[in-house]
Amino acid sequence: IPPLTYKVVAECSVSKARAGLMMLRHSEVRTPVFMPVGTQGTLKGVLPDQLIELDCQILLGNTYHLGLRPGIETLQRAGGLHNFMGWPRAILTDSGGFQMVSLLQLAEIDERGVNFRSPFDNSECMLTPEHSMQIQNAIGADIMMQLDDVVKTTTTGPRVEEAMERTIRWVDRCLKAHARDDDQSLFPIVQGGLEIPLRERCVSALMERQVRGFAVGGLSGGESKHDFWRMVHVCTDHLPRDKPRYLMGVGFAADLVVCVALGVDMFDCVFPTRTARFGCALVDSGQLNLKHQKYKHDMEPIDAACGCGTCRRYSRSYLHHIATNESVSCSLLSVHNVAYQLRLMGSMREAIQHDKFPQFVRDFMERHYGSEPIPNWIREALKAVKIELALDSTKGEGAGESSKQLVN
Amino acid sequence: MKFVIKSISKNSGRLGQLRIGKESNELQTPLLMQTTKGGSIPYLSGDVFDSVCKGQQQQQLLQLTLSTMDQMAESLVQWNRSLSEYVGLPGHATVLLLRDPCETTPAGGNDRDVVPLFTRRGKESLTATRYLELVSSFAPDVYQGLCDADTNPDSTKKRVQKSVDRTERFMEQCYERRVENSTLLAPIVGGYNTFARTQSIKHARQQPAGSYGGYILEGFHSNGLAATELKATQLLPIVEHCVQQLEEEQPRLMPGAYTPLLMLELIRQGIDIFDTSYAYCAAVNYKALSFSYKLDEIRPDDEHTPLLDMTAEEYKEQFKPLLSGCTCLACEKHTRAYHHHLYKTHELLGPILLMIHNLHHLMGFFDVIRASIGTDQLPALLEHLRMQNTSTEINYRIEPNNKIVTKAAMGKGFIAPAV
Ligand SMILES: [Zn+2]
Ligand SMILES: [Zn+2]
Repeated sequence: IPPLTYKVVAECSVSKARAGLMMLRHSEVRTPVFMPVGTQGTLKGVLPDQLIELDCQILLGNTYHLGLRPGIETLQRAGGLHNFMGWPRAILTDSGGFQMVSLLQLAEIDERGVNFRSPFDNSECMLTPEHSMQIQNAIGADIMMQLDDVVKTTTTGPRVEEAMERTIRWVDRCLKAHARDDDQSLFPIVQGGLEIPLRERCVSALMERQVRGFAVGGLSGGESKHDFWRMVHVCTDHLPRDKPRYLMGVGFAADLVVCVALGVDMFDCVFPTRTARFGCALVDSGQLNLKHQKYKHDMEPIDAACGCGTCRRYSRSYLHHIATNESVSCSLLSVHNVAYQLRLMGSMREAIQHDKFPQFVRDFMERHYGSEPIPNWIREALKAVKIELALDSTKGEGAGESSKQLVN
Repeated sequence: MKFVIKSISKNSGRLGQLRIGKESNELQTPLLMQTTKGGSIPYLSGDVFDSVCKGQQQQQLLQLTLSTMDQMAESLVQWNRSLSEYVGLPGHATVLLLRDPCETTPAGGNDRDVVPLFTRRGKESLTATRYLELVSSFAPDVYQGLCDADTNPDSTKKRVQKSVDRTERFMEQCYERRVENSTLLAPIVGGYNTFARTQSIKHARQQPAGSYGGYILEGFHSNGLAATELKATQLLPIVEHCVQQLEEEQPRLMPGAYTPLLMLELIRQGIDIFDTSYAYCAAVNYKALSFSYKLDEIRPDDEHTPLLDMTAEEYKEQFKPLLSGCTCLACEKHTRAYHHHLYKTHELLGPILLMIHNLHHLMGFFDVIRASIGTDQLPALLEHLRMQNTSTEINYRIEPNNKIVTKAAMGKGFIAPAV
């Protein structure tokens, strides 16, 4: 049996949304899926058992951090990350390149790989496509990412094309160096900046390779939402129907809904757990900043309809008092926020299966934006997949055209 | 609150039953109160805490502290259900104390008419009126009387005397204005001075019957790690002096992170109720409790240690549980190597898992203590704890962790030399 099989189980009759079932060595994964980020082999303050209770099926780990701590020798001796962290279900790892470029000031990319100064002794080091594969093989995630040539999303000019071409060359080096193709599936990454022809060329080149799924990279880094959705749209237009599509670093609720409509299957984002540390809880209408005085005497749970351990036991009032003060608040809000993201994905999947997705999208946008205008880019993106949102004359238009998102 | 002594024997402690509130179950003493911070078990969500308590007596006694919860008073006035429900731990009984036994209480701030409350936001000066108002807002099952407990082994005679005199004055007001539906604990203070302790006890004992439902013995240490450093030779004589004069039928609480060995000694002297702050102090300093509390237990040679220090490099690749045979969630699912990794990365899951293990261990210890009293084996258990099958007396002190993770301690597998 291949280490990854994917099948579409239902498709929206209007938009490009689809529900799928992905079988991996460690877990089945029902798509569309949100993958919480457990950067260093743990999801901030949440036990593996709690994640299983929330029915989380796949986690993301960061190769750069895991390579530093505990390091690949230790991971190898532990028998891989699943064993090391006590997580029996599926894991996806990134290539390490993106984190290097964003975290290390001196990282530079040339044809050989990513050059950087060692955080230990300042010596010159390099992460090559081969080396990224070697580390990811040691980590042993069910899905791994190719090393790609990362440029800022706002970069323009020949550098974007160079990065796209190099990413294609590097996927071949990665595929060649990948030593555990029977257990782990390597996803190539579609690059090409904000230019439709480059994205198209990249997709068709990558489709010539023997791979089991595709990632879309280079987005969600501060580009305008107008560009963002068009790039997703063009990629999903050309990617094969029978393979999973992973949009890297996207996780705001409205973006998730739009991108599922555009035909994306997998997402990840640190936002739900990061915002938890600052005392914020996700709800359909956005997020509650529980530190706000208005929650001091609010005896309701974060969301009465949420069945998570936090909403079953705690009031907003109590959470208001402990948020950012007691470390347990970070666990409590992370549990709720992950539960929120997973439930959102689950409801979309259900809506797709009952072919009620367009109505779900309309209801969701109504709840999410309330009295605020729905941003134009969302209207346009949804219109492109034939989901029309009612025009509300009482609301203003054109807000939120560009909002910088948090990236991994 | 109702306390019934089931058995009592000289030098072997006493077994009792505590019933708090009308619907509550019976809590068996010697009892371990659950220390909390801001109302929560440190690091543990209610769900996780429930899973730690599986197999334990259903109901627990939560030790809530005003110094970590005072800011909730206004909200609690508007809350119309129980205090334990507010903190997400419904069904458990609550004791409200002033000071957090987990952290060092700063000295000073006491005055004729006020007791300092050290909170996250600074110092508040509590008058008896204000204190009783706060207790009413919290409506705990049990609360302590207001006292000046700012004494430790180094306190001067004058400071000790002041703590007793002021406590008497505060208590006059507490006795006069009892909080309805809550049981008052009479504080016994007086540092290490037998005369002062006697005076403090006399004041409590001269109250009319039913004025209070138990004793809380304070003023031996300044909380936090200080309690783990007390010497038995110092503490035991003064506690013995107190216990002899206390009313037999009242339960006796001694909050603080006393070492397991010291807790046993104190139980032998007749102290009934302790708390889990030792488990917390260990976890927050990356230590796992590993002392043996089973008489017939044979441990591997490297396990005769009271605490495992998870910061030690030797655990980096030990792919075995903290303690072989431990049935806690941390031991069943995770290895020492993973604990060590969580320490290195300063991940929140590190202290969470250690807290799970340490609570499980300490609660198991108390199960064994109760059983040992029943079978008259407390002296043997004490000896087992003292020596742990070695030839030297075991030191249960918790070394604070001040280590900084160096870059050199990180894995190097990631780094490929430049081509
Ligand atoms: Zn919830
Ligand atoms: Zn354990």
